[in-house]
Amino acid sequence: MRRDGVRDARAEFVEFYETNKDACLRAVAVSVADRDLAEELVGEAFARAWTGWAKVRRHASPAAWIVRVALNTRVSWWRRRRREVPLAHHDTAHDDLKSGLDRDVTAALLRLPQRQREVVALRFLLDLDTDTTARALGIAPGTVTAHLARATSVLRRQLLSPERITEVTQ
Amino acid sequence: MIRDTDLEHKVRESVSGLQMQTSVETIIDNARRQRRSRRTMQSAAAIVGCAAIALAALGLTATDHESGRTSNAQLAAFTLSDGPAGSASLTLHKGAQYRLDPEALRRALAAHGIPALVTVGKSCDTNPDPDGLDEVVTGHRQSSGDVFITINPAAIPAGAELSIGYFPNHTTFGLIEQNAPEHCRA
Repeated sequence: MRRDGVRDARAEFVEFYETNKDACLRAVAVSVADRDLAEELVGEAFARAWTGWAKVRRHASPAAWIVRVALNTRVSWWRRRRREVPLAHHDTAHDDLKSGLDRDVTAALLRLPQRQREVVALRFLLDLDTDTTARALGIAPGTVTAHLARATSVLRRQLLSPERITEVTQ
Repeated sequence: MIRDTDLEHKVRESVSGLQMQTSVETIIDNARRQRRSRRTMQSAAAIVGCAAIALAALGLTATDHESGRTSNAQLAAFTLSDGPAGSASLTLHKGAQYRLDPEALRRALAAHGIPALVTVGKSCDTNPDPDGLDEVVTGHRQSSGDVFITINPAAIPAGAELSIGYFPNHTTFGLIEQNAPEHCRA
């Protein structure tokens, strides 16, 4: 019986992974601006999710949990990196944009404050609603709305300005 | 009028080529390995802890702080020796069989002219941190997981000291102001 339960849990986790892995990778990649680092962080977050799958599967948005854990892991690595001389090779060098990311969009996203970028990632790439995004980030729904409004206003100016549209159509 | 959906589409489009390369089998294997490693660490720590208590009760634990050696049950987690041009070479060992005595390491570093704050399980800094860490400490992680660093005491700014935070899986180094309030975090 227990073996069947484990098999079911594994099948459920595998389905969750296959369904959400790319969206989670993309959401983290726009936050860290490094494809390889994002892959590593998301992989680590999924491994933790499998370890605690009984709990994670009941989360309001397990995919948001993955992104949050991945980003927290990044913060932890960054803090460690800052002061640890023996040299983790994970650098947060934002100017080193790796392949697979659109340079213009990534550069525009990187100019946003971290929290605005996370809100954009969760709302646009994971398709989360305001309340779920708020729960995932541990902030109020109103704050999510405000961050998103500021971020979209800036991104619109930078990515979809009339000058840019003119350039494209000429 | 530019709609948010245009923007949303552009952001989505910008990363649409990204796909996870890691297989789910690898993820599950990694999780299993992490779990096993945690259990092994806990078991080893428990065994070593019991042995140390037993030896301490028998009065058998003797530590040579200068070289960082201890007898029997636990091995001291550091070795410190003279390096080139007035520097000191410090090796920090990692693993459940090692126990770092922070006071012993602090004294050994002081004997090499290196003022230091040594903590286990937390790292401490001051605000602001003095500059110049890269000149004071150079190092790399050895393949065994041990950490080997070279410390140049002459490069430590006046009024500063080295802050070393020893953790099971990593070690932090920083420069802090002597006599300034420390902020420590686990």
